[in-house]
Amino acid sequence: MTMQQFILGACAFFVAFMLEHLPLPELLFWLQPQWALLMVTLLVLHAPRAYGLWLAVPAGLMMDTETGNVLGLHVITFTVHIFLVQLFIRRLDGFNLIQQMLMVLILVLAHQLVLFWVSQMLLPFPIPVSIWSPALTSALVWPWAYAITQLTIRRLLS
Amino acid sequence: MLAVCLLAAGLMWVDQHYTVFQPLRYAVGYVLYPAQQVALLPSTLTLWMEESTATRQQLMDDNVQLRARNLVLEQKAQRLASLETENIELRELLSASEQIDDRVLVTAVTAVDPDPYSKQILINKGGEDGVFVGQPVLDAFGLLGQVVDVLPRSSRVMMIADSNHAIPVQVNRNGVRAIAAGIGALDRIELIYVPNTADIQLGDLLVSSGLGGRYPRGYPVGVVVEVDHQPGDMFARVSAIPSARLDRSRHLLLVFSQGAGQVPSEEIWRYRK
Repeated sequence: MTMQQFILGACAFFVAFMLEHLPLPELLFWLQPQWALLMVTLLVLHAPRAYGLWLAVPAGLMMDTETGNVLGLHVITFTVHIFLVQLFIRRLDGFNLIQQMLMVLILVLAHQLVLFWVSQMLLPFPIPVSIWSPALTSALVWPWAYAITQLTIRRLLS
Repeated sequence: MLAVCLLAAGLMWVDQHYTVFQPLRYAVGYVLYPAQQVALLPSTLTLWMEESTATRQQLMDDNVQLRARNLVLEQKAQRLASLETENIELRELLSASEQIDDRVLVTAVTAVDPDPYSKQILINKGGEDGVFVGQPVLDAFGLLGQVVDVLPRSSRVMMIADSNHAIPVQVNRNGVRAIAAGIGALDRIELIYVPNTADIQLGDLLVSSGLGGRYPRGYPVGVVVEVDHQPGDMFARVSAIPSARLDRSRHLLLVFSQGAGQVPSEEIWRYRK
């Protein structure tokens, strides 16, 4: 991994967790997309050689600290998510934006379900997980996130 | 993938039962800190703008009000001092242990948990200020909750309204003990397992009983607003409005009480989500 990739990854993390922490009025909480998950997806999608499954470990740990969960919960869900993204990476690359949005909807939905199941199985007090709204909002912000990261990550790393 | 998942599951198990990974959480907290600060920048800026653009007249008005308030409070404090000495003397007569004043630390709310189901907030004091897991948190009106997660410069507070939270209370009028559990709504807590014959009436003030060793004794928790005796039911349904302004308070107090509060480290996780 080169210095450039490291710095880019660090910047992506910074932006994602800044957005994750953004204070919102109570009514809009439902509309908060899964920024960290989107960031991980985009990094893996744009630079699959540099960022792989290992990305789940730092991102998951930071997400757990950010949300105040038991360490490791999001590491599992992010690992499964990155695995799925890597499975579909060719198709995702070939899709147009609408198809990509649908794919993101399904992927984030799957992530929320995995999060729900893992917390049901491994935690004494399962955490509440909203399934639909993060998936919908993540899909809606996808085109913008994709365009911005394509401009930066692809240009810088190619 | 399976290896990473298994490792993470192991990490979860260890983190749930032991505190060895607390330093890791702490370190990640340091990494997150700049991003969180940048995210809070707009609200910090507006606050700063409000403060720095206040007119002289506003400040003078504020000052007059605060002086008046201070006078009233000082007068009350004078009475309190004599009452306290009297109390200590009486306690000595009863040879009970004397209650020492609690030390407090003022903190501000920086964020509310974006999760609509959990009633948790973030505050701007952390491990570097001596905050510890299990520390009671008050606002100006009553008990607000307890610290459940400590990062270097911020902490997470679970409010008494969280559905995973319960606190031992006592009716101020007659000392009847009960347990007040959160139900996930900010304006309501419920007393659970109250016998149908218990003497609890509308308007009763509930104060923390100090049982369980987590919360200090005698801080207001709520006011009873509903008592429902169902014939044939084993327990009465009693609900109360929290005294603390859970959704409005901006400045909170962290309590360092003598003896109480510190919980053995292996017990910490039992109270966590």
